[in-house]
Amino acid sequence: MSAVLTVQDISMRFGGLAALSEVSFEVGEGELTALVGPNGAGKSTLFNIIAGVFPPTAGRIELAGADVTGKSSHALARLGVARTFQLVTLFPDMTVEENVVQGLHRHTRLALFGGIFNTASYRADVARTTERARAVLALLGIEAHRNERAAELPLGIAKLLTVAIALATEPKLLLLDEPAAGLSLEESNRMMDLISGEVRKRCTVLLVEHNMRIVGRYCDRAVVLQFGRKIYDGRADGLVHDQAVVDAYLGVAEMA
Amino acid sequence: MTLALLGQGLAIGLVNGALYILTALGLTLIYGILHIVNFAHGEIYMLGAMLIYVLFVALQWPLPLAFAAIILLAVAAGLAVERGIFRGLRGQWMQLLVASVGISLIIQSLSWIAFGAQEKNVPSVLPGVLIIGGVRMPLERLAAAGVALVLVTGLYWLVYRTRIGLAMRAIEEDEETARMLGVNSDRVAAIAVALGFVLAALGGAFVAPIYSLNPGMGLEAILMSFIIIIIGGLGSITGTVLAGLLIGMLQSIGALILGAEAAHVLVFAAMIAVLVLRPQGLLGRA
Amino acid sequence: MKRFSVPLLLAVLVVLPFLAKPYALHVAIVVLFSVTYTAALYAVLRMGYLSLGHAGFIALGAYACVILSVRLGVSPWLGIPAGGLVAGLAAWGLGALTLRLRGIYFSLAVFAFGEIVTAFFRAFDWFGGPAGIPGVPRPSFFGTPLASHFAFYWLVLAVAVLGIGLLYRLQFTRFGATLLTLKSADSEKLAESVGIPAARYKTAAFVVSCAVTGCMGAVHAQYLLFVSPQVFTFLTSTDLLIYAMVGGLASFWGPILGAGVLTALGEQLFSVGYWKTLVYAAILMIVILVLPGGLIDLPRRLRARARAAIAAPEVR
Repeated sequence: MSAVLTVQDISMRFGGLAALSEVSFEVGEGELTALVGPNGAGKSTLFNIIAGVFPPTAGRIELAGADVTGKSSHALARLGVARTFQLVTLFPDMTVEENVVQGLHRHTRLALFGGIFNTASYRADVARTTERARAVLALLGIEAHRNERAAELPLGIAKLLTVAIALATEPKLLLLDEPAAGLSLEESNRMMDLISGEVRKRCTVLLVEHNMRIVGRYCDRAVVLQFGRKIYDGRADGLVHDQAVVDAYLGVAEMA
Repeated sequence: MTLALLGQGLAIGLVNGALYILTALGLTLIYGILHIVNFAHGEIYMLGAMLIYVLFVALQWPLPLAFAAIILLAVAAGLAVERGIFRGLRGQWMQLLVASVGISLIIQSLSWIAFGAQEKNVPSVLPGVLIIGGVRMPLERLAAAGVALVLVTGLYWLVYRTRIGLAMRAIEEDEETARMLGVNSDRVAAIAVALGFVLAALGGAFVAPIYSLNPGMGLEAILMSFIIIIIGGLGSITGTVLAGLLIGMLQSIGALILGAEAAHVLVFAAMIAVLVLRPQGLLGRA
Repeated sequence: MKRFSVPLLLAVLVVLPFLAKPYALHVAIVVLFSVTYTAALYAVLRMGYLSLGHAGFIALGAYACVILSVRLGVSPWLGIPAGGLVAGLAAWGLGALTLRLRGIYFSLAVFAFGEIVTAFFRAFDWFGGPAGIPGVPRPSFFGTPLASHFAFYWLVLAVAVLGIGLLYRLQFTRFGATLLTLKSADSEKLAESVGIPAARYKTAAFVVSCAVTGCMGAVHAQYLLFVSPQVFTFLTSTDLLIYAMVGGLASFWGPILGAGVLTALGEQLFSVGYWKTLVYAAILMIVILVLPGGLIDLPRRLRARARAAIAAPEVR
């Protein structure tokens, strides 16, 4: 099984604070991996580094063997990395369908000439794109909302839309930032069913999560951070039995 | 260029810089507290100057009375504008900006109609020139610079040493939290705007004897104020002071070497350079 | 109604010169100028960028055409695309420096740019200085210059239709839709994460907007038969903003409606600039406070009010 993502000795210092210290792990193709840790463990920092928001102080990131350390999010998008944001980020004034169409950007031609003169081939292209957008929406079960304004969506549907937009880019690696955060039990089960079902069939998924129940139940593997260091790297269902992880979360109710 | 000429240029530059500070202070305050760019600032400045002419010269009021009237009117205008226009648009920066442009256009056009295009002159209250070490300094300008110093000091004291100043800083930092802690943000906003208007009007009033007055002087004033607060850092009083002095000197030396028009363009170019290289200005927060 | 109004409008515009007196044609020409400039400004506004210096690009286009045809003897026909080219290039340069700034910073940078352009032309005699450059030639159609209002009207109409048509198509294509994703810093972040090159899109939109503005500026100078730094000032920029806001920013036709209505009103009623500015600004304030969606939103609001009135009759 080849590694889609290789994180090698990543360290991050913010001034005098060491947010991450020599974190290394791999995510294999098709593995649904969770990046876990208590608040302040450094998982958001690591996530942002992998997503290209800022470069690490030291270390290396490889995407399917190619060095992508320090590349911008825009460049990473072109290499097949897609992500969602911790705070729901959408294109508020556009409809659900139009949001996903923007996600398809990498796979559509600009066709400026065709657009200006509204040629037949342009119109056909637009129809094709709309089809593909609807297919992605259907995959996530939100096709019925396709003409609603993104700003007016309830949280559950909005979060599914963020995943749809990221999925539309047809990524190799999908980075999901706490996809179930803020959702009711029912909504979060629905989200995780989709992620561990349809979504993981199409790409490799790395998600940030601090809900142990979700990690244990839906993910294949887990990487646990504490104070910027990796303290566990293995099967997700082995988490609750690992002493270091239990100690790190001592007193946190989610372990139950 | 002789040392004496350079010295003269620098000295005049510093004093002009102080005048620029006087012009820009009101804008800094309103932006600093409420993040509102008050385009009408220049017109309030112009009205302050015009009212000195009308009250002190045309109607022969005693100077202190004229100043009192100007301050009262500025407070009233500031409160009215904040309550009637700014408050309803909080959060919509484009609408706020365009609204303040609208206010400035209304004031400007009314002023052209009321005062006419004929340039007005306010006779010098403090005629005479101070000569120190070969440098000639008109007393009127020095006095205005002195007023700038007083107002800056007063503003510092208000913002950093009073409860109302603390409330203002709290609102600037995080309005929601401030309100939860009991700060009446609407009232503080109203005070901030009123104060900004007063500073603008006083700025105009104090420079009235120095320049010749016409209703178009507001545009020049707002332009200069923008340049100053962008270079100094939007919302930073210290930045405004620093930038004012720097621009004053840049323009003065620039005029000596390149001529007045070119010095003007130089100042604009400095603003664009700051926007490109360090958008937060010298002392603004990133 | 919408499907028929554009062809209807075009039909009216084509028939107009045969029926109208020269003064009415003058008003129509000035309205076409305003409408084109405002539509171009809207392309930038809808991206979330408030340009406070669009007059600078009108001036660049105008001066480029005038310099070429008056000082360098180039054909006036070439002056028009030259105006667009110069304005477009300037926009490219300015955009590279400033489009990464958001909100007020961008607005002030463009404002400063507009003032610099005016100051520049005022400073040098070769560009006419404060007095400007008179004697601007108009293009000739098969030997005869387009001297009458009637003849010149067709040129203005052609440029307006082409310019607005281009802007319209750009907005309603994929390109235009993607521009909407750049409206705020957050959505721009999302756009970049799906691979949209934000800077390139913003620059392209800004350049097209300013190029169209510059072309029309060249035509404008040919209409006035002269150009000077006093013609296209900051007040021109604010006028365009007022037209756009009064018309309504939610749709392509809003700013055009605003420009049409206010310009026609202004030409008919006011000879003195101050009164015109006063009335425009007053209308702007009323719209901002009472009708935030602009004139184009009025039918919808009235319908909503009517519906509400029917659904909930007054209770005594």
